Amino acid sequence: MDRISALMDGELDEGQARREIGRLREDAELRERWESFHLIGDAMRGERLLSPAMMQRLAERLAHEPIVLAPRRGTARKIAAYALSAAASISAVALVGWVALGTNDVGTAREVVRAPAPTLVVPVPAPAPQVANVPNDGNMNEYILAHQGFSPSTALQGVVPYIRSVSSRQPAHNR
Amino acid sequence: MKVIWAAIFLGLSAANPALADGVDPEQGLSWLRKMIDASNQINYRGTFVYQNRHTSETSRIVHYVNPAGGVFEKLEALDGPAREVIRTNDQVTCYLPATKTVLIEQRNARLLPALLPESLSGITGSYIVSTGGRDRVAGHECQVVTLEPKDSLRYGRQFCVETRSGLPLRVRTYSEKKDHVELFAFTQLAIGGGFNRDRVKSKYAAKSRNWRVDRSALDTNERQVDTGWIVNNQPPGFRKLTEVRRSIAGRAGAVAQIVFSDGLAAISVFIEPMPKERPVQALTHNGAVNIYTLSLADHMVTVLGEAPAATVMQIANSLELRTAAAR
Repeated sequence: MDRISALMDGELDEGQARREIGRLREDAELRERWESFHLIGDAMRGERLLSPAMMQRLAERLAHEPIVLAPRRGTARKIAAYALSAAASISAVALVGWVALGTNDVGTAREVVRAPAPTLVVPVPAPAPQVANVPNDGNMNEYILAHQGFSPSTALQGVVPYIRSVSSRQPAHNR
Repeated sequence: MKVIWAAIFLGLSAANPALADGVDPEQGLSWLRKMIDASNQINYRGTFVYQNRHTSETSRIVHYVNPAGGVFEKLEALDGPAREVIRTNDQVTCYLPATKTVLIEQRNARLLPALLPESLSGITGSYIVSTGGRDRVAGHECQVVTLEPKDSLRYGRQFCVETRSGLPLRVRTYSEKKDHVELFAFTQLAIGGGFNRDRVKSKYAAKSRNWRVDRSALDTNERQVDTGWIVNNQPPGFRKLTEVRRSIAGRAGAVAQIVFSDGLAAISVFIEPMPKERPVQALTHNGAVNIYTLSLADHMVTVLGEAPAATVMQIANSLELRTAAAR
């Protein structure tokens, strides 16, 4: 817990920061704390509160920026300025931490921590899901059923795709 | 109906930039058209395999069209727990003997017929439609038709369409990295044959009288409603198909459903009052369908569809309740 706040305050050295970001990536509860710490910080500073969905939206907007694999100075500055204006209330540390969390590749995360601002542009080509995508255990079958009738796939394939809406209710690890 | 189709597809091919890519989409589109016609006109019986990243299962299917144009279908899972789905024109009934449950989805026929021509018209804006070679599936010759997405917001689809009937014998869904997300393929198939009502009845029809019945239905009083919810960051190529209030099996109270489609994939947004137990933010998938649940203000939001998780989440995360138009 203390380490998380130390990470927020930028008090950790590179190795420690990397470990903490690693833990954040593993632990959803820790991530929630990290997010609420920032919300508390924002509230204390009297800044306008951002919704938790804001980070995702930022990712999406960044994703629509042109992807420059070998960033020129101008582009990097433009995107950095864009990111800052879009996320005025997020500290730079939060941005670095979040980008590291948002990517699922450990190697990329390491890159981000070490590298200065311009390379931040590279790991955000798509709005990477922040939550793990796990197989559904069948608790959404009623919704899939309610959706299926509107899907063009039903017009093309008939009842066949409805197999999804009766997927058996078993924990994923038993399959 | 045929005339409308022709007009839509002619219009599409005339204004289509894909022609510049050296791909003539008209051939592929006519195969898509043929597939839709087949599901309304052809009788068939067979066995198909459904495969996704985590599971593979076999089902038996019977599909009949009666002389009046009514479509009757039965799907019977052959692996794992027994399950049956019976689909008639305006109702889908799922029999789940393991939990002694019947799920009934009542469809408002008035809301559905307009769906297709409209939704398919956008296809060439989002996909490059092309035809490939011939292949063989379950002993039948079929034509490969590929819908290659123009961006990463959607999955690609490859059909192998039976050359005479237009029946899709194999449907592959693949990701941007060309990974298989989902596959439907017939392993045995008989096309033709007369209508037989008994073959499309559930064997649980009598037994299930004492089972729990969970119904869901569209509000039949209204065509479309304004639920007050908007998507601020609608993924390009997706258009709003419909917006309704409805009930969902096993859920108390009215649920708002907004459906978006790019002509091939559809994404539904379900919004309902916050249940007693606040939902945990979760991303799951069932084959090509990604499902994202979150709480938003005093509401539980479920967004799902046969599109990449990022697309589903983009819609979920840009939902907003317009305060003035609420209710």
